[in-house]
Amino acid sequence: MNEQSFTFPLLHNAIGIMTPFLLAATGGLFTELAGMLNIALEGLMLIGAFFSVVFAGLTGSLALGILLGVASAVLAAALFAGVSLNLKANVFISGLATNLLASGLTIVLAFQLFGNKGVVRFEIAKLPSLTIPALARIPVLGDLLIGHNILVYFSWLIVVLAALAIYRTPFGLRIRGTGLGAATVTSLGLNPRRYQMAAILISGFTCGLAGAVLTLKLSAFVPNITSGRGWIALVAIYLGNKTPWGIVIASFIFGFAESLSNFAQGAINIPADFILAFPYLITVLAMIVYSIWRHYRARV
Amino acid sequence: MGDLFAGTLGLLITLGISFLIAVILIVLLSKQPLTTIYYFFVGPYTNKYYFGNMLNAAIPLVFTGLGIAVAFKSSVFNLGGEGQVYCGALVATVIMLALPQSRGYVGGPAALAAALATGAVLAGMSGFFKMKWGTDELISSFLISTAVIFIVNYFITGPLDDPSNSMLATRAIGKQYHFLGIYPPSKLDISAAFAVAAGILVFFLMYYTHWGYEMRMCGLNREFSRYGGINVSTYVVLPMIISGALHGMAGGIAIMGTYHVAVKEFSFGMGWNGIAVALIAKNNPLGVLPAAVFFAYLDAGAKAAMLHSDVTFEIAAIVQSIIFYLITAQAIYSFLRRRKRSRP
Repeated sequence: MNEQSFTFPLLHNAIGIMTPFLLAATGGLFTELAGMLNIALEGLMLIGAFFSVVFAGLTGSLALGILLGVASAVLAAALFAGVSLNLKANVFISGLATNLLASGLTIVLAFQLFGNKGVVRFEIAKLPSLTIPALARIPVLGDLLIGHNILVYFSWLIVVLAALAIYRTPFGLRIRGTGLGAATVTSLGLNPRRYQMAAILISGFTCGLAGAVLTLKLSAFVPNITSGRGWIALVAIYLGNKTPWGIVIASFIFGFAESLSNFAQGAINIPADFILAFPYLITVLAMIVYSIWRHYRARV
Repeated sequence: MGDLFAGTLGLLITLGISFLIAVILIVLLSKQPLTTIYYFFVGPYTNKYYFGNMLNAAIPLVFTGLGIAVAFKSSVFNLGGEGQVYCGALVATVIMLALPQSRGYVGGPAALAAALATGAVLAGMSGFFKMKWGTDELISSFLISTAVIFIVNYFITGPLDDPSNSMLATRAIGKQYHFLGIYPPSKLDISAAFAVAAGILVFFLMYYTHWGYEMRMCGLNREFSRYGGINVSTYVVLPMIISGALHGMAGGIAIMGTYHVAVKEFSFGMGWNGIAVALIAKNNPLGVLPAAVFFAYLDAGAKAAMLHSDVTFEIAAIVQSIIFYLITAQAIYSFLRRRKRSRP
């Protein structure tokens, strides 16, 4: 895609780049509200990234690739949930295990199937881009909202659906109830573990999609392609104050930071490693500022 | 006693299942499974070189494992081990490169002290933010560490890169800084003794000192400790500092004992594996020693299998993740505990 054809290439790019953060954070919001620190977002995303591009390559169909890639991530989430909830493992540690498993498994399979542990390229179609006329007519903003690939728009739909599910359905109420006090949910005759399970599976679904966005855009798999995006998504949940709309804003900030560093790489003479460190530094600064703000607000 | 029995039996079952999965993986992936299995399990013991290198690889894991054990025992989370090790290694290397004329016993301790301080500051920051404003130390330590990794990469491949070698690495440190090898031809050196000493020292710190007692109390129940008159905010920062210092040490020792140059990304995995080591050891500082050797054994086995057969090294990561899953699965242990109790 020729980015120069848009009025604000920096912002337009940021909206594309934020999609994996947004998707993973939206799924992670469910687990967070259900009272679990889900650090497996990274690993689940990696599983989705690998299997979606591999299946797309094998079947020659993007849709099948996405479907099977997401299914693989949900399967991995089911393993994570089973160990955490049924075998009563510490969620934090089983999350680390999921990340380690994803990293090892994808490299072993890439080596086994394609004989190399580097970049694996696939002959697949590009993700179709959409230009929605209704959006295009919005002045200024419209230009930023058109011409993205189809998964970007899908991610917006998912955020809206997630917000509706969380705030407007009994299911969402029970998820939030589980996080606030599992005993309360039990006293209502419901099984909190079932809602935690559902939350983890939802995070597997959205992380699978997030991973698919990464690899299908490149038509290639690179070992550990997620490179910390799952962690940033986790931070976006906190930064977004655990609300869907907050997550949209937080994800955009991270998308913008990455977009800025991509542009700076070409324009300004800053070493690439500093630019790569930049999103992490911004994130930790944002976290600290946010906690200072909360700290003093709680006092007043 | 029943708990100890259940714990040990649970550990054995965990390891048994993991080994079984390793065998299944190899049978699925390898065209010559018997050779692969042989090298995976027996490879590290077939000669002095492999065996010594396996023990040598355990040394940094002892330090990172101890670092995690101290933090976890105090219910503080340090997820920044990777960056602390890597940055500690870089700072130690820089000091030794800056003092080419120094005697080994002057510059060496200076370099180690600097590595230790680097790790302590990096982790201590997260502890400080947590104490001051309640910033989640788990996530902040991870983020700081990741940013630091990129910055260390910049120095190793940029200003400090040695153009005369083909690697992305700094110049080599002076010969006087090399630790004495104790098991040639392998790379095992006297830092093995440091690792054992560190294990004993941390054990002593945690179980026989005032600080250790208060750290453990805060780990068990922070609110109760506050009620009991312990200054709990201190014990958010102190465990992080000790944890970071041990991670920094791991980096410095790896340079002086094994690598002698800071190669790009050389220490990757030492931090994460430290968490696994601490878990296998149930956060017991003395248990960290055998747990580190066990972890190094898995890696050495996978490496031997890769060299002599047709599988890739990362199968070790899969086996390690299974151990991770099972080691924390409380249901297995409580099941064993119940069975033990139901017997007369």
